[in-house]
Amino acid sequence: MRKKIAIDILSSVEKPARYTGMEFGSIIKTEEETEVSIALAFPDVYEVGMSYLGFKILYHILNAQPGVAAERTYSPWVDMEAKMREHSLPLTSLETMKPLQEFDFVGFTLQYELSYTNILNMLDLGGITMFAAERGEDEPLVIAGGPCVFNPEPLADFVDFFIVGEGEEVMVEVMQLYKQWKKAGKPGGRSEFLRRVVNITGIYVPSFYKVEYLNSSAEGIPAGCFKSVTPVNTIAPAVVQKRIVKDLNTIDFPTKIVVPYGEIVHDRIMLEIFRGCSRGCRFCHAGMVYRPVRERKPEVLKELARKLVDSTGYNEISLVSLSTADYSCLEPLVHDLINEFKEEKVSVSLPSLRVDSFSVELAKEVQAVRKSGLTFAPEAGSQRMRDVINKGVTEEDLMNAVGAAFANGWAQVKLYFMIGLPGETDEDILAIAELAKAVQGKYKEVTGKGGAKVTVSVASFVPKPYTPFQWVGQNDIAEINRKQMLLKDALKIKNITYQYHDSVTSVIEGVFARGDRRLGKALYLAWQRGAKFDGWSEHFSYERWIKAISDSGLDKDFYATRERTQNEAFPWEHIQPGVAREFLWEEYEKSKTGILTEDCRHADCTGCGVCQNLEAKIIDWKSNGL
Amino acid sequence: MKLRMQITKEKGIRFVSHLEYMRTIERAMRRAKLPVAYSEGFNPHMKFSLASALGVGITSKAEFLEIELAQEIELESALEKVALALPLGIHIKAADIVDNKIPKLMASAACADYLVQVPCTQACAEELHKFNAAVSVLFQKPIPKGRGKTKEIEVKNFITRVDGNFNNNNLELKFSCKITPTGSMKATELLKILRDQFALPILLEQADIERTDLYGLNTKGEKKALIGDNNF
Repeated sequence: MRKKIAIDILSSVEKPARYTGMEFGSIIKTEEETEVSIALAFPDVYEVGMSYLGFKILYHILNAQPGVAAERTYSPWVDMEAKMREHSLPLTSLETMKPLQEFDFVGFTLQYELSYTNILNMLDLGGITMFAAERGEDEPLVIAGGPCVFNPEPLADFVDFFIVGEGEEVMVEVMQLYKQWKKAGKPGGRSEFLRRVVNITGIYVPSFYKVEYLNSSAEGIPAGCFKSVTPVNTIAPAVVQKRIVKDLNTIDFPTKIVVPYGEIVHDRIMLEIFRGCSRGCRFCHAGMVYRPVRERKPEVLKELARKLVDSTGYNEISLVSLSTADYSCLEPLVHDLINEFKEEKVSVSLPSLRVDSFSVELAKEVQAVRKSGLTFAPEAGSQRMRDVINKGVTEEDLMNAVGAAFANGWAQVKLYFMIGLPGETDEDILAIAELAKAVQGKYKEVTGKGGAKVTVSVASFVPKPYTPFQWVGQNDIAEINRKQMLLKDALKIKNITYQYHDSVTSVIEGVFARGDRRLGKALYLAWQRGAKFDGWSEHFSYERWIKAISDSGLDKDFYATRERTQNEAFPWEHIQPGVAREFLWEEYEKSKTGILTEDCRHADCTGCGVCQNLEAKIIDWKSNGL
Repeated sequence: MKLRMQITKEKGIRFVSHLEYMRTIERAMRRAKLPVAYSEGFNPHMKFSLASALGVGITSKAEFLEIELAQEIELESALEKVALALPLGIHIKAADIVDNKIPKLMASAACADYLVQVPCTQACAEELHKFNAAVSVLFQKPIPKGRGKTKEIEVKNFITRVDGNFNNNNLELKFSCKITPTGSMKATELLKILRDQFALPILLEQADIERTDLYGLNTKGEKKALIGDNNF
């Protein structure tokens, strides 16, 4: 065990138990049994990072490997960071309190663009050289994966290699390779390891690629735009294909997890019932990059649930996925889980519900033990706009869903929307208010009285890579603010609560979502000037970001608000989730006239290309005859 | 019937708050699969309580816990299960099973012993003597959620004497603090009084405080163990 943080430091910071570890289920391996060590680094505070299922899975799978020690580390909150800098304390893991710089690997998850400055900050606090090109032989390999890996370019200067796609199998392969290389005496140093690891499918070594930009405008594409990315050697693949687990039933899911002392954001069992979603919402990044849909068998899930309840002591199981109501055997599964755990006072919860597959019977069942609110995501107010984004739900669906809920005693509904969608008019914005009013009207119709509480939560749309909207220009701040106020005025209604996000954070999110390698400089400058916890509005400074971007010789509008032409090449297209560019363009074209595309689980193949490119198939237990 | 246990809160988890410690115990009980009683109603909760809340940052050899049981259990096998379900940093020191009619531990706990190790430049024998000899020591205790408001309390009603032992720039302090139906004092409050009113040059922020015991007092004022004889 390393040096503990002194009492006076811990007693002077908020929530000190964030930094002390020793939770039930944490795995501490001795130095003798450790051949390769990795710090799973979440670039946000403990309560947020501890809620991330992906790291629970990797922690379990990696530690199950003999000789592999996976530990956890999180961003210290600003009060703790100040103390650490004052006393020259390095950022360490929670398990062995080992400084990050002593690990073989430090692995970050890229959950959202606004966490990137925290990655830089954690490297700095962990005593690791910031730029990958300058890192010494004895320093850790800095790796990263997660949803934002489908455009890793803004982080290319800082990361030694990226893991593209689902990590369960590829991470084990990387650890095995490292063990062999270490045993052989690390021949050729870290550059040789990179040359070896790049042979594994799903590994992207950014230093093995050269990026070129247009010197002058060509074919309608302005100068300064991305031109090409090409390998500088013969071993790096021209295109890095994402890794997926073809059948979730055959891989390990954690049945013993770290149970925190303090309350974390998702303080419950998270049971992943399936991966992927093929509803095809055109704004949705996750829906495109996590394809195809692969369900876990109900029997497997019930067994996992039993083991997790026994090993954690949690009293709630949340059935998680991108669209839980779409699980083909959801009703029998929920029913069985509730019956199994009722006596033990364990409840079952569903994170969000689609209005078209909403079942009030199901909602009533999950309420059996504990009460929970109802949340729906129509995403847009008008039918026209919902068709543009291929949401595939109607006002009638929503009214049926809330009507059934109201008839069964619910009186509170939360509705999620987006504004700033492509082709949006003021009528579309005002339709959000109309819809909220209609929901209140439905309550009156069903119950004969007024007073239904409706919360309207509105996010600003940010175009993401590998979605049909990757070509569109994002609304600028003035336009988003105007739309927010338009809606605010329209929603001054009793019992309707209106929540909306700060427009400026969406701009920076948009810049990095579709950014290129040149943004690494802006990221570095912003961090140097104090940017961190950008996802926390009290720490976000728009002025600092704009200055960092312009001081790097770049323009935020070039990345965020600029509409791209069909033939413009994108800086992320060498990292492949398997979705064909032609499919995305076709979907974009269809969106302009509001033509819907059906879910390929229940209709014909839409030609997105994922199953063919990844040699995978949809796994749906109901249609598989179970 | 109810299961009562004396458990620890060790160094590594000293910064877990009272609420977090409670939640941890609740989850451990669920993992141990004991037939614990739950309250009725929409939000059933486990029927258990701790004898006395411990401040954040303080370690303890003597946290007392009682849990109401829905059916009879055998002590030894139950404790084996609980021991396996507890996280690092919590261990069982003693336990018994008693009837529900036995008064709550919370009502029986009357006094706590503390042991403090704190950096200091001198032995402070005189200063401590002054405190021990004082008839009255007053302290402005902040009212919880009182927005800076305080109430005056008589320290001597709770702590009558403090013993010191100086070694290697470290002052070891031992004292007992009464717990009364109307309240008690925190160990950190005493240290503050010693520093501010009796001029002990202690580095309060670095104090390592341990609750070494918690017990009842009989009518003669003698120490009375809170739970039975099953010591480990």
